[in-house]
Amino acid sequence: MKLQLGLAATLMVTVSVFGQDLNYGPPASSYVAEALKYPDAASKPTPKTADGHPDLNGVWHHFFGELVHPVGDGSFALGFGGAPRPANASAGGPPPPRPRPDPLPEYKAQYVTKVKFFNDNQVKEDHALHCMNPGVPRIGPPHQIIQTAKQMVFLYADSTGNEWRVIPLDGRAHSTDPETDSTDNGDSVGHWDGDTLVVDVTRLNDDNWLADNGLFHSKKLHVVERLRRVGDTIQYQMTAEDPDVLAKPWTISRILTLQMDTLEAAPACVDNDAGHYVNQEHHDNAR
Amino acid sequence: MRTKKRLALAAVAALAAALPLVAHHAVSAEFDSGKVITLKGTVSKVDWVNPHIFIYLDVKDDSGKITTWRLQSVPPMFMKGSGLTKEKLLDGAETTVTAYPAKDGTDAFGFLLKLAYPDGHFYNLGGGNAPAPAPPSPAK
Repeated sequence: MKLQLGLAATLMVTVSVFGQDLNYGPPASSYVAEALKYPDAASKPTPKTADGHPDLNGVWHHFFGELVHPVGDGSFALGFGGAPRPANASAGGPPPPRPRPDPLPEYKAQYVTKVKFFNDNQVKEDHALHCMNPGVPRIGPPHQIIQTAKQMVFLYADSTGNEWRVIPLDGRAHSTDPETDSTDNGDSVGHWDGDTLVVDVTRLNDDNWLADNGLFHSKKLHVVERLRRVGDTIQYQMTAEDPDVLAKPWTISRILTLQMDTLEAAPACVDNDAGHYVNQEHHDNAR
Repeated sequence: MRTKKRLALAAVAALAAALPLVAHHAVSAEFDSGKVITLKGTVSKVDWVNPHIFIYLDVKDDSGKITTWRLQSVPPMFMKGSGLTKEKLLDGAETTVTAYPAKDGTDAFGFLLKLAYPDGHFYNLGGGNAPAPAPPSPAK
C-alpha cells in the first residue's frame, strides 16, 4: 500500500515576528522569485562551448537573501516585500511560473511512522540543522558550475558550509572504492544526453535526508540530476529513487537563473543555538 | 571520517535539552516573543556566521559592571548587498536595543529586534513594526 505523507502543513511552517510571517518555504519559491527578476532570461541565446555542448559555466546562485534594505538617513530595515528591481534586470518576455510547493515523496507504508518521528524531532535529528553538509540531493542545484570537456565541478555556498562535487564526463563507471562506499555527496558520474547534462549519483550515506521534515532515505538512494540550459536559465530536475523506502521515484524541478555576481563563499556555520531550544518548532529552509 | 558529525553527536549526548536547529529553527522555539526587553550599550563584537549573525552588546549597569549580551540576528544572506556591514554595527556608538529574551532562561541571551542610535538612525532587523526602543538619551 502506498501512502502519501500528510506533511503539507509542516512544509509551510512560518516564523512570526511581530505578526509578520517570515515564510521560508516552499523551497521552490526562491527560484521563482529570482526568475521574476529576469523574466526574459530564457529567451536569450544559449551559448555553447568549443566542444559543442551547452555552456553551463556560471554562477547560478539563487539565495533568497538580500532582505535587509537601506531605508534612508543611514538606517536599515528587514523587509519581506521583495528587493528592488536590479539594474541589470530584463524587461518583457513571458512571465515565469508561479511558486508552488514541491511534490512530496511517497514512502512505503511501513516507513511513514519513521518519517513522522524524524519530522516531530527535526530539531534534534536533522544533521543539516547542526551545520553539517545536507548532502545530495538536499543541498540542491549547484550555485556555480565550472565546465571543461572532461568534467563538471559543482560549487555550493550553503548555509552549512562550502561544498563541491567533481563530476567526470569520461564515461567511467561509479567508484567501487570500499573506503568511500557512502558519503554525503555520493559518487557522481556525468554524460551528455543531447543538450542535457545527466549526472548519476550513487554511494550516498543514510545520514542525510531528501529534504526537510524527516524525509529520510537509505543507502540504496540513486539520484539522477538533469541540467538543460535554455538561454540564461538552467532547467534543473532531480529524481530520487530509493527502492528500500520510497514507493516510487520522487522528482522535483527548479529553474536556475544566470547571475551577474561572483559567488561569495558562505560564512562559517557555527551552531550557536545549541542547547537553547525549548521545543521542536521549525520551518523549511530554501535550497 | 565525519569529524564534524562525531563532534556534534558528542555535543548532543552532552546536552539534555532539545537541540539546535540552526537554519531551520523557529524563533518561537528559542525566544519569548511575548516579552520585549530594552537594553542600552555598545556593540563590542559581531560574529558574521551562518546560520545567524550574532551581535554582542556590552551593557553597563549603575555600578559600572558590564554584562555582554549575546543577541541572535538574521542569516548573513539576508544582509547580502544591503550595505549594512559588520563595520557599521561596530561603530562604537551607544545604542538602544530591543530584543526577545531566551525562553530557556539563559542570562544575557536574546533575539535582536532593533538597534536605535541617538542621532535617529536605526537598524530594524526584527522585521515588521518592531517596537520602538526607549527615546534616545540626550546628547552629552
